[in-house]
Amino acid sequence: MKNYRVPTGIYGLDELMDGGFRENTINTIYGGTGVGKTTFALQYSLFGLDRGEKVLYFSFEMSERQIIRDCIDMGWKEIKDYIDKGDLKIIHIFGEDLGYPTLDILEMIKKSSDNKNTRIAIDPLTYPTFYSDKEKRKSLSMIFQGLRELGTSIIVLEEAPDSGYGIGSTEPSYPTKIQSMPLYLSDTVIFLQNLGFGEMYDRTIRIMKHRGSKHGEGLYPYSIETGLGLVVRASEKQIDRVKPKNKYDDKFKVALSKTKSMGVLGQKLSVRIEVLRRNWISDEDPSEILKLVLNGKNL
Amino acid sequence: MAKIIEHALDELYEIEGVEACMLYRIDGVPLIIRVPGYKEHLLETMFWLEKHIRHVLGEMNREGLKESVFYFRNNRILISPSSKSTILVAIAKEEANQHLVSLETLRATRIIDSILK
Repeated sequence: MKNYRVPTGIYGLDELMDGGFRENTINTIYGGTGVGKTTFALQYSLFGLDRGEKVLYFSFEMSERQIIRDCIDMGWKEIKDYIDKGDLKIIHIFGEDLGYPTLDILEMIKKSSDNKNTRIAIDPLTYPTFYSDKEKRKSLSMIFQGLRELGTSIIVLEEAPDSGYGIGSTEPSYPTKIQSMPLYLSDTVIFLQNLGFGEMYDRTIRIMKHRGSKHGEGLYPYSIETGLGLVVRASEKQIDRVKPKNKYDDKFKVALSKTKSMGVLGQKLSVRIEVLRRNWISDEDPSEILKLVLNGKNL
Repeated sequence: MAKIIEHALDELYEIEGVEACMLYRIDGVPLIIRVPGYKEHLLETMFWLEKHIRHVLGEMNREGLKESVFYFRNNRILISPSSKSTILVAIAKEEANQHLVSLETLRATRIIDSILK
Protein backbone atom coordinates (compact mmCIF):
# COMPACT_ATOMS: atom_id res chain seq x y z
CA MET A 1 0.00 0.00 0.00
CA LYS A 2 1.49 3.30 -1.05
CA ASN A 3 1.56 6.13 1.40
CA TYR A 4 0.60 9.22 -0.59
CA ARG A 5 0.97 12.61 0.93
CA VAL A 6 -1.38 15.54 0.69
CA PRO A 7 0.54 18.82 1.11
CA THR A 8 -0.96 21.05 3.77
CA GLY A 9 -0.39 24.25 1.81
CA ILE A 10 1.02 25.88 4.94
CA TYR A 11 4.41 27.41 4.22
CA GLY A 12 7.16 25.61 6.14
CA LEU A 13 4.93 22.92 7.65
CA ASP A 14 5.20 19.99 5.25
CA GLU A 15 8.90 19.55 5.83
CA LEU A 16 8.17 19.01 9.51
CA MET A 17 5.43 16.49 8.69
CA ASP A 18 7.08 14.01 6.38
CA GLY A 19 5.59 15.75 3.33
CA GLY A 20 2.10 16.54 4.59
CA PHE A 21 -1.06 14.72 5.63
CA ARG A 22 -1.48 11.09 4.66
CA GLU A 23 -4.09 10.61 1.96
CA ASN A 24 -7.62 9.75 3.17
CA THR A 25 -7.10 10.76 6.76
CA ILE A 26 -8.71 13.03 9.34
CA ASN A 27 -6.52 15.89 10.50
CA THR A 28 -7.59 18.10 13.36
CA ILE A 29 -6.51 21.71 13.77
CA TYR A 30 -6.96 22.57 17.42
CA GLY A 31 -6.59 25.89 19.18
CA GLY A 32 -8.14 28.89 20.89
CA THR A 33 -9.78 31.95 19.40
CA GLY A 34 -7.78 33.99 16.92
CA VAL A 35 -4.93 31.57 16.35
CA GLY A 36 -5.66 31.09 12.63
CA LYS A 37 -7.60 27.82 12.47
CA THR A 38 -9.98 29.00 9.76
CA THR A 39 -7.08 30.58 7.86
CA PHE A 40 -5.37 27.18 8.03
CA ALA A 41 -8.46 25.45 6.62
CA LEU A 42 -8.87 28.02 3.84
CA GLN A 43 -5.18 27.89 2.96
CA TYR A 44 -5.35 24.09 2.80
CA SER A 45 -8.38 24.37 0.52
CA LEU A 46 -6.86 26.99 -1.77
CA PHE A 47 -3.63 25.04 -2.13
CA GLY A 48 -5.62 22.15 -3.56
CA LEU A 49 -7.82 24.37 -5.74
CA ASP A 50 -4.76 26.03 -7.27
CA ARG A 51 -3.61 22.55 -8.32
CA GLY A 52 -6.90 21.50 -9.89
CA GLU A 53 -8.28 19.57 -6.93
CA LYS A 54 -11.88 19.66 -5.71
CA VAL A 55 -12.67 21.09 -2.30
CA LEU A 56 -15.68 20.75 -0.05
CA TYR A 57 -15.90 23.34 2.72
CA PHE A 58 -18.39 22.50 5.44
CA SER A 59 -19.03 25.60 7.53
CA PHE A 60 -21.02 25.38 10.74
CA GLU A 61 -20.62 29.05 11.54
CA MET A 62 -19.53 31.36 8.73
CA SER A 63 -21.74 31.86 5.71
CA GLU A 64 -20.40 31.57 2.16
CA ARG A 65 -20.44 35.37 1.94
CA GLN A 66 -18.33 35.74 5.09
CA ILE A 67 -15.84 33.14 3.87
CA ILE A 68 -15.47 34.91 0.51
CA ARG A 69 -14.98 38.22 2.27
CA ASP A 70 -12.30 36.80 4.59
CA CYS A 71 -10.50 35.28 1.61
CA ILE A 72 -10.57 38.55 -0.31
CA ASP A 73 -9.20 40.35 2.75
CA MET A 74 -6.37 37.82 2.82
CA GLY A 75 -5.66 38.56 -0.85
CA TRP A 76 -7.15 35.30 -2.15
CA LYS A 77 -9.54 36.82 -4.66
CA GLU A 78 -9.55 33.71 -6.87
CA ILE A 79 -11.93 32.02 -4.43
CA LYS A 80 -14.93 33.45 -6.33
CA ASP A 81 -13.76 31.85 -9.58
CA TYR A 82 -13.38 28.48 -7.91
CA ILE A 83 -16.92 28.67 -6.54
CA ASP A 84 -18.28 29.70 -9.97
CA LYS A 85 -16.43 26.83 -11.67
CA GLY A 86 -17.78 24.37 -9.11
CA ASP A 87 -14.36 23.33 -7.87
CA LEU A 88 -15.13 24.71 -4.42
CA LYS A 89 -18.41 23.89 -2.73
CA ILE A 90 -19.23 25.69 0.50
CA ILE A 91 -22.00 24.18 2.60
CA HIS A 92 -23.20 26.40 5.40
CA ILE A 93 -25.47 24.89 7.99
CA PHE A 94 -26.04 25.35 11.71
CA GLY A 95 -25.32 22.22 13.74
CA GLU A 96 -28.60 22.61 15.58
CA ASP A 97 -30.48 22.21 12.30
CA LEU A 98 -29.20 18.71 11.73
CA GLY A 99 -31.69 15.96 12.60
CA TYR A 100 -29.27 13.05 12.73
CA PRO A 101 -25.82 14.67 12.59
CA THR A 102 -23.87 11.58 11.62
CA LEU A 103 -26.12 10.56 8.77
CA ASP A 104 -26.96 14.10 7.66
CA ILE A 105 -23.34 15.22 7.45
CA LEU A 106 -22.22 12.10 5.60
CA GLU A 107 -25.16 12.28 3.21
CA MET A 108 -24.46 15.93 2.41
CA ILE A 109 -20.77 15.27 1.82
CA LYS A 110 -21.45 12.24 -0.37
CA LYS A 111 -23.95 14.21 -2.44
CA SER A 112 -21.53 17.08 -2.93
CA SER A 113 -18.45 15.05 -3.69
CA ASP A 114 -18.09 13.06 -6.86
CA ASN A 115 -14.59 11.68 -6.41
CA LYS A 116 -12.44 9.99 -3.76
CA ASN A 117 -9.68 12.57 -3.63
CA THR A 118 -11.50 15.59 -2.36
CA ARG A 119 -10.02 18.02 0.10
CA ILE A 120 -12.64 18.42 2.81
CA ALA A 121 -12.72 21.06 5.52
CA ILE A 122 -15.13 21.08 8.45
CA ASP A 123 -15.05 24.38 10.28
CA PRO A 124 -15.68 23.99 13.19
CA LEU A 125 -16.67 20.58 14.43
CA THR A 126 -19.55 21.00 16.86
CA TYR A 127 -21.67 18.61 18.87
CA PRO A 128 -25.20 19.75 18.28
CA THR A 129 -27.36 16.81 19.12
CA PHE A 130 -25.40 13.99 20.66
CA TYR A 131 -26.83 12.45 23.80
CA SER A 132 -24.29 10.26 25.54
CA ASP A 133 -20.51 9.88 25.39
CA LYS A 134 -20.97 6.43 23.91
CA GLU A 135 -23.16 7.80 21.13
CA LYS A 136 -20.81 10.72 20.57
CA ARG A 137 -17.83 8.48 20.04
CA LYS A 138 -19.77 6.16 17.75
CA SER A 139 -21.18 9.07 15.72
CA LEU A 140 -17.79 10.70 15.41
CA SER A 141 -16.19 7.41 14.40
CA MET A 142 -18.85 6.96 11.72
CA ILE A 143 -18.39 10.50 10.39
CA PHE A 144 -14.62 10.11 10.38
CA GLN A 145 -14.83 6.75 8.64
CA GLY A 146 -17.12 8.19 5.97
CA LEU A 147 -14.84 11.18 5.49
CA ARG A 148 -11.78 8.96 5.11
CA GLU A 149 -13.44 7.21 2.19
CA LEU A 150 -14.10 10.50 0.44
CA GLY A 151 -10.80 12.27 0.78
CA THR A 152 -8.38 14.02 3.09
CA SER A 153 -10.09 16.13 5.70
CA ILE A 154 -9.28 19.02 7.95
CA ILE A 155 -11.36 19.34 11.09
CA VAL A 156 -11.23 22.66 12.90
CA LEU A 157 -11.73 22.25 16.63
CA GLU A 158 -12.17 25.18 18.97
CA GLU A 159 -10.37 25.05 22.28
CA ALA A 160 -12.73 25.74 25.20
CA PRO A 161 -11.93 29.09 26.86
CA ASP A 162 -11.66 27.45 30.30
CA SER A 163 -9.04 24.94 29.21
CA GLY A 164 -6.29 27.57 29.38
CA TYR A 165 -3.88 28.92 26.79
CA GLY A 166 -6.29 31.44 25.39
CA ILE A 167 -4.75 34.75 24.40
CA GLY A 168 -2.74 36.04 27.33
CA SER A 169 -3.21 32.86 29.34
CA THR A 170 -0.17 30.99 30.55
CA GLU A 171 -2.11 28.26 32.32
CA PRO A 172 -1.47 24.72 31.13
CA SER A 173 -3.97 23.45 28.61
CA TYR A 174 -5.90 20.24 29.11
CA PRO A 175 -8.57 19.45 26.53
CA THR A 176 -11.93 18.71 28.11
CA LYS A 177 -13.53 15.30 27.60
CA ILE A 178 -15.78 16.60 24.84
CA GLN A 179 -12.82 18.16 23.01
CA SER A 180 -10.45 15.27 23.41
CA MET A 181 -12.59 12.72 21.60
CA PRO A 182 -11.89 14.01 18.07
CA LEU A 183 -8.24 14.26 19.06
CA TYR A 184 -8.14 10.52 19.88
CA LEU A 185 -9.89 9.63 16.65
CA SER A 186 -7.89 11.89 14.34
CA ASP A 187 -4.88 10.75 12.37
CA THR A 188 -3.11 14.05 12.86
CA VAL A 189 -3.53 16.74 15.49
CA ILE A 190 -2.00 20.17 15.07
CA PHE A 191 -2.14 22.57 18.00
CA LEU A 192 -2.06 26.30 17.31
CA GLN A 193 -1.43 28.66 20.17
CA ASN A 194 -1.12 32.36 20.85
CA LEU A 195 0.02 33.70 24.22
CA GLY A 196 -0.63 37.25 23.10
CA PHE A 197 2.55 39.07 24.14
CA GLY A 198 3.33 39.86 20.51
CA GLU A 199 6.69 38.08 20.56
CA MET A 200 8.12 35.55 18.15
CA TYR A 201 7.37 32.47 20.24
CA ASP A 202 3.88 33.53 21.27
CA ARG A 203 2.26 32.19 18.13
CA THR A 204 3.38 28.61 17.96
CA ILE A 205 2.41 25.46 16.16
CA ARG A 206 2.95 21.97 17.55
CA ILE A 207 2.36 18.67 15.79
CA MET A 208 0.81 16.68 18.62
CA LYS A 209 0.35 13.51 16.61
CA HIS A 210 0.84 12.38 13.03
CA ARG A 211 0.08 8.69 12.65
CA GLY A 212 2.48 6.57 10.64
CA SER A 213 4.79 9.49 9.95
CA LYS A 214 7.95 11.10 11.14
CA HIS A 215 7.29 14.56 12.43
CA GLY A 216 8.94 17.38 14.28
CA GLU A 217 8.27 17.36 17.99
CA GLY A 218 9.26 20.91 18.76
CA LEU A 219 7.37 24.12 19.19
CA TYR A 220 7.58 26.15 16.00
CA PRO A 221 6.86 29.88 15.70
CA TYR A 222 4.48 30.94 12.96
CA SER A 223 2.95 34.13 11.69
CA ILE A 224 -0.12 34.99 9.66
CA GLU A 225 0.83 37.07 6.64
CA THR A 226 -1.74 38.79 4.42
CA GLY A 227 -1.47 37.27 0.98
CA LEU A 228 0.21 34.10 2.19
CA GLY A 229 -1.64 32.91 5.26
CA LEU A 230 0.19 30.86 7.89
CA VAL A 231 3.97 30.75 7.61
CA VAL A 232 5.81 28.35 9.94
CA ARG A 233 9.32 29.50 10.79
CA ALA A 234 11.23 26.49 12.02
CA SER A 235 14.97 26.94 12.31
CA GLU A 236 17.42 24.99 10.12
CA LYS A 237 18.38 22.86 13.11
CA GLN A 238 14.73 22.03 13.83
CA ILE A 239 14.16 21.00 10.21
CA ASP A 240 17.34 18.95 10.20
CA ARG A 241 16.15 17.04 13.25
CA VAL A 242 13.26 15.56 11.23
CA LYS A 243 15.46 14.33 8.39
CA PRO A 244 16.65 10.70 8.43
CA LYS A 245 20.32 10.34 9.40
CA ASN A 246 22.60 7.81 7.74
CA LYS A 247 25.70 8.44 9.81
CA TYR A 248 24.96 5.38 11.97
CA ASP A 249 24.39 2.98 9.07
CA ASP A 250 27.44 0.94 10.14
CA LYS A 251 25.88 0.25 13.55
CA PHE A 252 22.68 -0.90 11.88
CA LYS A 253 24.65 -3.14 9.50
CA VAL A 254 26.35 -4.84 12.45
CA ALA A 255 22.99 -5.36 14.15
CA LEU A 256 21.47 -6.74 10.93
CA SER A 257 24.31 -9.21 10.54
CA LYS A 258 23.70 -10.47 14.09
CA THR A 259 20.05 -11.25 13.28
CA LYS A 260 21.15 -13.78 10.64
CA SER A 261 22.04 -16.31 13.31
CA MET A 262 18.71 -15.90 15.09
CA GLY A 263 16.52 -18.03 12.85
CA VAL A 264 12.97 -17.07 11.88
CA LEU A 265 12.63 -14.47 14.62
CA GLY A 266 15.90 -12.98 13.51
CA GLN A 267 14.51 -12.52 9.99
CA LYS A 268 11.51 -10.67 11.36
CA LEU A 269 13.77 -8.60 13.56
CA SER A 270 15.98 -7.68 10.62
CA VAL A 271 12.96 -6.18 8.82
CA ARG A 272 12.21 -4.04 11.86
CA ILE A 273 15.80 -2.94 12.22
CA GLU A 274 15.91 -2.00 8.55
CA VAL A 275 12.78 0.14 8.97
CA LEU A 276 14.36 1.71 12.04
CA ARG A 277 17.51 2.49 10.06
CA ARG A 278 15.56 4.19 7.29
CA ASN A 279 13.66 6.29 9.81
CA TRP A 280 16.46 7.10 12.25
CA ILE A 281 16.21 10.86 12.67
CA SER A 282 18.01 11.22 15.97
CA ASP A 283 21.54 12.55 16.28
CA GLU A 284 22.16 10.04 19.03
CA ASP A 285 23.96 6.74 18.57
CA PRO A 286 21.41 3.88 18.22
CA SER A 287 23.77 1.29 19.75
CA GLU A 288 22.00 1.19 23.11
CA ILE A 289 18.60 0.59 21.49
CA LEU A 290 20.00 -2.02 19.10
CA LYS A 291 21.64 -3.84 22.01
CA LEU A 292 18.29 -3.93 23.78
CA VAL A 293 16.51 -5.21 20.67
CA LEU A 294 19.12 -7.90 20.05
CA ASN A 295 19.05 -9.07 23.64
CA GLY A 296 17.84 -12.70 23.53
CA LYS A 297 15.28 -12.08 26.30
CA ASN A 298 13.41 -9.63 24.11
CA LEU A 299 13.05 -11.97 21.17
CA MET B 1 15.80 35.32 13.85
CA ALA B 2 15.71 31.83 15.36
CA LYS B 3 19.26 31.33 14.12
CA ILE B 4 20.57 34.27 16.17
CA ILE B 5 18.83 32.99 19.30
CA GLU B 6 20.17 29.46 18.74
CA HIS B 7 23.64 30.92 18.28
CA ALA B 8 23.34 32.83 21.58
CA LEU B 9 22.47 29.56 23.33
CA ASP B 10 25.30 27.71 21.56
CA GLU B 11 27.79 30.27 22.85
CA LEU B 12 26.48 29.97 26.40
CA TYR B 13 26.56 26.17 26.18
CA GLU B 14 30.19 26.23 25.06
CA ILE B 15 31.37 27.88 28.30
CA GLU B 16 33.35 25.43 30.41
CA GLY B 17 31.23 24.03 33.20
CA VAL B 18 27.86 24.84 31.63
CA GLU B 19 26.05 21.50 31.51
CA ALA B 20 22.91 22.68 29.78
CA CYS B 21 21.02 25.78 28.79
CA MET B 22 17.42 26.17 27.80
CA LEU B 23 15.10 28.87 26.60
CA TYR B 24 11.67 28.43 28.13
CA ARG B 25 8.43 30.12 27.33
CA ILE B 26 6.55 31.73 30.21
CA ASP B 27 4.17 28.75 30.41
CA GLY B 28 7.05 26.32 31.00
CA VAL B 29 7.25 25.00 27.44
CA PRO B 30 10.90 24.53 26.37
CA LEU B 31 11.62 26.39 23.12
CA ILE B 32 15.32 25.76 22.50
CA ILE B 33 17.42 23.29 24.44
CA ARG B 34 21.12 22.54 24.58
CA VAL B 35 21.75 19.38 26.62
CA PRO B 36 24.39 16.66 26.39
CA GLY B 37 22.14 13.67 25.57
CA TYR B 38 20.40 11.74 28.33
CA LYS B 39 21.39 12.64 31.87
CA GLU B 40 18.99 11.73 34.63
CA HIS B 41 19.86 14.58 36.97
CA LEU B 42 19.34 17.12 34.18
CA LEU B 43 16.02 15.56 33.25
CA GLU B 44 14.81 15.88 36.85
CA THR B 45 15.84 19.54 36.89
CA MET B 46 14.10 20.16 33.57
CA PHE B 47 10.86 18.61 34.84
CA TRP B 48 11.08 20.83 37.90
CA LEU B 49 11.69 23.89 35.72
CA GLU B 50 8.77 23.15 33.38
CA LYS B 51 6.50 22.88 36.40
CA HIS B 52 7.68 25.90 38.35
CA ILE B 53 9.11 28.38 35.89
CA ARG B 54 5.90 30.38 35.68
CA HIS B 55 5.76 30.86 39.46
CA VAL B 56 9.47 31.65 39.71
CA LEU B 57 9.08 34.27 37.00
CA GLY B 58 6.04 35.73 38.77
CA GLU B 59 8.03 36.10 41.99
CA MET B 60 10.98 37.60 40.12
CA ASN B 61 8.75 40.18 38.46
CA ARG B 62 7.16 41.05 41.79
CA GLU B 63 10.54 41.54 43.45
CA GLY B 64 12.15 43.21 40.41
CA LEU B 65 14.91 40.58 40.14
CA LYS B 66 17.11 40.20 37.08
CA GLU B 67 18.25 36.70 37.94
CA SER B 68 17.53 33.91 40.39
CA VAL B 69 19.79 31.07 41.41
CA PHE B 70 18.79 27.63 42.65
CA TYR B 71 21.11 24.87 43.80
CA PHE B 72 20.23 21.27 42.97
CA ARG B 73 22.79 18.70 44.10
CA ASN B 74 26.03 19.73 42.35
CA ASN B 75 24.38 22.11 39.94
CA ARG B 76 23.79 25.81 40.04
CA ILE B 77 20.68 26.79 38.10
CA LEU B 78 20.56 30.34 36.90
CA ILE B 79 17.21 31.70 35.78
CA SER B 80 16.98 34.98 33.93
CA PRO B 81 14.01 36.54 32.08
CA SER B 82 14.98 37.11 28.44
CA SER B 83 11.84 38.86 27.16
CA LYS B 84 8.19 39.42 28.05
CA SER B 85 7.39 35.77 27.39
CA THR B 86 10.68 33.88 27.60
CA ILE B 87 13.17 32.86 30.29
CA LEU B 88 16.73 31.70 29.85
CA VAL B 89 18.07 28.98 32.14
CA ALA B 90 21.71 27.93 32.47
CA ILE B 91 22.66 24.82 34.45
CA ALA B 92 26.30 24.98 35.54
CA LYS B 93 28.54 22.64 37.49
CA GLU B 94 29.77 23.74 40.91
CA GLU B 95 33.30 24.22 39.67
CA ALA B 96 32.30 26.44 36.72
CA ASN B 97 33.25 30.11 36.78
CA GLN B 98 29.95 31.35 38.18
CA HIS B 99 30.67 35.00 37.51
CA LEU B 100 31.39 34.27 33.86
CA VAL B 101 28.27 32.11 33.52
CA SER B 102 26.16 34.83 35.08
CA LEU B 103 27.57 37.55 32.82
CA GLU B 104 27.22 35.43 29.69
CA THR B 105 23.66 34.46 30.60
CA LEU B 106 22.75 38.12 30.97
CA ARG B 107 24.42 38.88 27.64
CA ALA B 108 22.43 36.11 25.96
CA THR B 109 19.17 37.38 27.49
CA ARG B 110 19.85 40.82 25.97
CA ILE B 111 20.40 39.30 22.54
CA ILE B 112 17.21 37.23 22.83
CA ASP B 113 15.22 40.23 24.03
CA SER B 114 16.42 42.39 21.13
CA ILE B 115 15.38 39.68 18.66
CA LEU B 116 12.00 38.90 20.16
CA LYS B 117 10.90 42.50 20.76
